[in-house]
Amino acid sequence: MTAITIQNARIVDPATGRDELGSLQVENGLIADIGEGIAQDGHHIIDANGAILAPALIDLRAAIEPAFTPGGETLDSLARAAISSGVGTIVISPTAIMPIDQPETVTGLRSSTLPLPVRTLICAGATTGLQGKNLSEVGLMATSGAAMVSQGNFPIADTAALRNLLSYASGFELWVACPPRDTGLACGTVATESEAAARFGLNVEPTVSERMAIDRDATLAELTGARLMIDRVSTRDGVEAISRARKRGIEISATASIANLTLNAVDADGLDPAYRLTPPLRSEHDRRALVAAIESGLIDAVVSDHHPLDLDQKAQPFADAAPGSTSIETLLAAMLGLVHEEELDLVSALRPLTSGPAELLGLPQGRLEEGAPADLVLIDGDAPWVFDAKESASARKNSAWHNRRFQGRVLMTMVDGGIVYNLKG
Amino acid sequence: MGRADFTYDFPHDRLITVNDLNPLDIQILFERAEHWHAINQSPDKKHDALKGLTQINLFFEPSTRTLASFELAGKRLGADVVNFSASNSSTKKGETLADTARTLAAMHPDLIVVRHNASGAANFIYRETGIATINAGDGMHSHPTQGLLDLFALSQRIGDVGGKRVLIVGDILHSRVARSDVGMLNLLGAEIRLCAPPTLLPIDVDRWGAEIFHDLDDALDGCDAVITLRLQKERMASALIPSTREYFHFWGLTTRRMEFAKPDCVVMHPGPMNRNVEIESTLADDADRSLILDQVEAGVAIRMAVLEQLGLRARQNARSGL
Repeated sequence: MTAITIQNARIVDPATGRDELGSLQVENGLIADIGEGIAQDGHHIIDANGAILAPALIDLRAAIEPAFTPGGETLDSLARAAISSGVGTIVISPTAIMPIDQPETVTGLRSSTLPLPVRTLICAGATTGLQGKNLSEVGLMATSGAAMVSQGNFPIADTAALRNLLSYASGFELWVACPPRDTGLACGTVATESEAAARFGLNVEPTVSERMAIDRDATLAELTGARLMIDRVSTRDGVEAISRARKRGIEISATASIANLTLNAVDADGLDPAYRLTPPLRSEHDRRALVAAIESGLIDAVVSDHHPLDLDQKAQPFADAAPGSTSIETLLAAMLGLVHEEELDLVSALRPLTSGPAELLGLPQGRLEEGAPADLVLIDGDAPWVFDAKESASARKNSAWHNRRFQGRVLMTMVDGGIVYNLKG
Repeated sequence: MGRADFTYDFPHDRLITVNDLNPLDIQILFERAEHWHAINQSPDKKHDALKGLTQINLFFEPSTRTLASFELAGKRLGADVVNFSASNSSTKKGETLADTARTLAAMHPDLIVVRHNASGAANFIYRETGIATINAGDGMHSHPTQGLLDLFALSQRIGDVGGKRVLIVGDILHSRVARSDVGMLNLLGAEIRLCAPPTLLPIDVDRWGAEIFHDLDDALDGCDAVITLRLQKERMASALIPSTREYFHFWGLTTRRMEFAKPDCVVMHPGPMNRNVEIESTLADDADRSLILDQVEAGVAIRMAVLEQLGLRARQNARSGL
């Protein structure tokens, strides 16, 4: 196999904080060398022209639709959308219509992922039908290859059931992702409690709903010794609750969605159903708290929370529209927006998309070091472009970022040493 | 100093938990059980040690082997044995346990064997009646004759259990058998291991003097004996495990898994068994490894030993007017 040398690149590795010009050599699917002037005869040479070379992204939360859904998102269409955003590893998450709550399903999905150009992991449903009552066969699903378990968008109301789940999963050392929402306060709501939402007459959820849920869930994590993942913190109240739990020595992890990190309730002010999301968009005050929590390392991973929907499900008044947005294709560009706005430096922005999630799941990729898998992304950090959902590789077009202008675009994505995406075709 | 060097009489007037016993008490009971064990194998099983005494078996929970075992034990010792079971007891008509106890006490039995689904019930009966009470299982608390018979059967097969590595695997949370076995194993100086999913372990298990495992293969390493417990679905208020197939996959004892234990490691189960849930059917029937029927046999002998000691004591107390 011919070695590939990418030279003249701005090598950015969030795992080590490295950010410097140099070359990187790939051989047999692994990073063979990082340094200067390492190209040798016979190497295939790619001149990066100073473009950013980073680990390919790892997205801990993306959904597909059940097989044979008319026009539905498949593993294949999701993978094509992912590689155009520099994502090299996707975690398929359970949803109401695809709860992934049986080992047979995990095995089936895993065999379907083999021919894909990206690495695909499975997040299994923690309770049957994500109903929050009966444990699903968590152990057998882990044995069948599930990387973690989750409650999808459904918090568990019954505290004893949550305790059982956390306790049981702790025996397998699995991460249990739970959405931080108080089931009573969040029930039937479509937006965050605010003056604007009140004017629009929407059913709203107060931000303390998130704080109360995190306090409760972290307390049970402490009791059971479980690995609890706060699945998409979205408010300042929530960030503070995580901070308190960590200070008490409770080993919880936390993610945030790219939507909550880069959009706020003002974006949804026109009641455009494209912005009907779970968790709902929050205030700018909350969004800034999330950015600060990324910088401080309180949030381990940023997820696309890619949620494909039939446009008919979105062609409804805001409150009636199905929640969710496709987002994997704009994940990196939206994150780079925070760098251009000087809210985050490049290393801090890439960490929760690479080494952060890799460390949570114990993955060897997501870092640039000799011997690590050659999962890489080459980025033109300044290239301007406009995202047109109609041109999307994703099978669904329900993007909250449709027609949005971005600066920063993926030139090439490499997975396992092979080039799986090239902007120029 | 052996027992022959001084006088020691079995000092207890009831048996509520094995934690009331000391190693000398256990030695007395095992010696007597050995005696009855031999007699039980002969065609002349009847004896008159408890002649004239009345034994009431008061069972509020369904039971086959324990009730039969106590009944046979009492009858072989010559006692008059009466069985009361929950299905025809006056508690069904709304009588309190205290009234039931006092009513039975008025009939002057000398021994009461009680099984009840509430922890503390046996001790309650003893306090209400003052009659020699044997706990035949109270809720999730204690089942002392099971603990005694398990260790008796085990020591018959492998000798002194002191220093031996014994694993208890299964539904420890709901198991009075586990609590009694652990009590006995601690008294006899065994190295105790417990293995279960975290949802089936009691919260205080780290203070039981045992090493805790979630992985059965790890737990089996170097074991001399394994006690598997029944999955007690009737005591589970909520779904603590996802399914029986998952349970069997991770915590079911199989012939293949036994390769992690010592080659001559024996397998025990207090019964009744859920075949292919907590134990592979063929392993349960493997006469070389399985002590399951030896346990049943030991049960009668141990219960005879316990009834004998408590009966003798009750007779003494009656004579001295206590």
